[in-house]
Amino acid sequence: MFVSILLKEWLKLRWFFFASLVLNFAVCIKIFFDIRQRMHTEHAEMVWYQAIHIHAVLYQDIRFLPLLAGLVLAVAQFVPEMLGRRFRLSLHLPMGRDGMLSLCLLGGVSLYLLIAMVDLASIYWMLSYYFPVEVAGSSLSTMAPWLFAGLIAYFGGVTVLLETSWPRRAFLLLIFAVLLSILFQGVGYGWFTPSLGWLAALLPLAMLCVFESGRRFQQGGTR
Amino acid sequence: MSSLLSNISRGSALFLAVIAMSYALPAGYDKVFGKQVGNPLLFFSPLLEQFIYRESLGGHRFNYQREDGKQYDRAGFESQLPFLYYKNLEKKKQLPVTVAGESYGKAVIKASKQGLDIKSRHLDGHHQQIGLYPLFNTDPEVAIMPFPEDVFRFTDQGMEFINADHNRIDGDLTTRFTKALQAKGFVFPATVIGGKTTNLKPFDEGYFVRDASGVIFHIKRILDAPHVVRTGVDPTLDVQDIVVSENRRREFYGTIVTRTGELFLISYDDYQLIPLPVEQYQPDRMDFKLLINPVHTTAVISEAKRVHGVAMDTAYQKKHSFTVERRDPVAQGVRIARDILLPFQLTLEGPYRGHADLQIQPGSGWSFVGIATAVACYIFMARRNTVWGKLSTMNLLGVIFGGWFGCIALLFLGRR
Repeated sequence: MFVSILLKEWLKLRWFFFASLVLNFAVCIKIFFDIRQRMHTEHAEMVWYQAIHIHAVLYQDIRFLPLLAGLVLAVAQFVPEMLGRRFRLSLHLPMGRDGMLSLCLLGGVSLYLLIAMVDLASIYWMLSYYFPVEVAGSSLSTMAPWLFAGLIAYFGGVTVLLETSWPRRAFLLLIFAVLLSILFQGVGYGWFTPSLGWLAALLPLAMLCVFESGRRFQQGGTR
Repeated sequence: MSSLLSNISRGSALFLAVIAMSYALPAGYDKVFGKQVGNPLLFFSPLLEQFIYRESLGGHRFNYQREDGKQYDRAGFESQLPFLYYKNLEKKKQLPVTVAGESYGKAVIKASKQGLDIKSRHLDGHHQQIGLYPLFNTDPEVAIMPFPEDVFRFTDQGMEFINADHNRIDGDLTTRFTKALQAKGFVFPATVIGGKTTNLKPFDEGYFVRDASGVIFHIKRILDAPHVVRTGVDPTLDVQDIVVSENRRREFYGTIVTRTGELFLISYDDYQLIPLPVEQYQPDRMDFKLLINPVHTTAVISEAKRVHGVAMDTAYQKKHSFTVERRDPVAQGVRIARDILLPFQLTLEGPYRGHADLQIQPGSGWSFVGIATAVACYIFMARRNTVWGKLSTMNLLGVIFGGWFGCIALLFLGRR
């Protein structure tokens, strides 16, 4: 049963996953060539100075892509389920509602994490090619809030899509939008580093929100 | 089990809603009703021998006043500060100016002026900084200061140079500098590194580096050779940062800031420390400014609610001090309403940090009035079983801790 459900999620998501992966990887390649061009046109030490002391983030272009990937996966996974309330059919399978939802989330999150890993590894590698390891290392803490944003967008998207009441849906949308806006504050590298632990704490909370929406969906919005 | 998860899920949504509202609503309220004014500008007038300041009243209106309360217009204010506004005096052909019986012309004023600004957000540990620095190669026969092709880092073993063209360690330079430091007794790694990384300065004084045993070394690169001086600065000082300030006056190399709020100028050429009489200074939550003119030095320390000024003579002995309370232009009613409606605020950044500084800032005592009203309102409405959901412990806790934030969240998420 577990494998069948995961296979169902994979079939729904695969093309959207590949599209997101290709988009993310393409932007990583563009960033690589941008940095290479900069290194060739300016003195390397000046590019280092900008990256280290002026706090220029040379991989800014990737900033909103994890958010987009999270939203795309949530929409691709749950919009078809909501059309005609098809998700009710899944809820009739011999598995608990929360278990079923957990498996759906596992499928979506796993694919998102693959995209996130590609982003992190690509940016880290290209920075370590042109810059000292400290600069490459700083990209991890710089990108962490952007990657958290993708996960929160995914969980928020699922929560909102499963919700049946429009006022509640609009309120949840606003709440998740504010939380996402927090993750894009700050300038320069590692701005959120001292607070990454607090930001990470938002992730399980955002994930848990899905289950109440799932319950309300199954029970038609009322008890 | 499912019911428990459902309750936890609803609690999470309520919690996130309160967090999001405590971030967005106070910021929105301040945007609509708040007014911001700049810091008061505080100076010591050599003509009056007392402090004089300019404070913003909002809307491009300013109050110019001296410490005994006498007010000035802008021209009058500027006329009391001849060393600051000497260019105006020059245009009016009023130079040289006479202060305390001494005459000061443009050249003397210009050569005697120096400013030093130490913002808390720029101090070591108050912002993110990758520990890689350019060490300018001083050539006495070259006027410009080209950027070096390498940066250095301190490791447990030595001072390591990395070449930017090849992104590889420069073994030769690394060995030369490491050996020169070891010869002077440097204990690796470095604990504090202070220097100006820009070439927009009249000359380069390199870096002041505190080693693992607390000793401070002065490191320069002259014609690609290491020039290391082991200073006699007290190694027991709890140094937070060393702010280097290259200035043509060449009176001091820069300033040592300790974690306990002491400030010392490092004097040329013997590295003797000159303590500054600034008892109020706390580097964690205050900015510091030093203004030097031919007859006085003024230290200005800014904090959230007030600005302190300390006037010193040319030997940095305290002469006079004064404190200005910052003006809050927001009407009291607006402040009280804010505290009642918005019991706390989630802020991401503060004026004294260059990185995220996540804080929950509580309101005043009026916030408790707001929370009590919100709780009463919730109980009344919940008993009538309206949209705020049933009277439950979780909901009640949401309102007790979230005040009106909790009430708004329950309005949408309260009913199951």
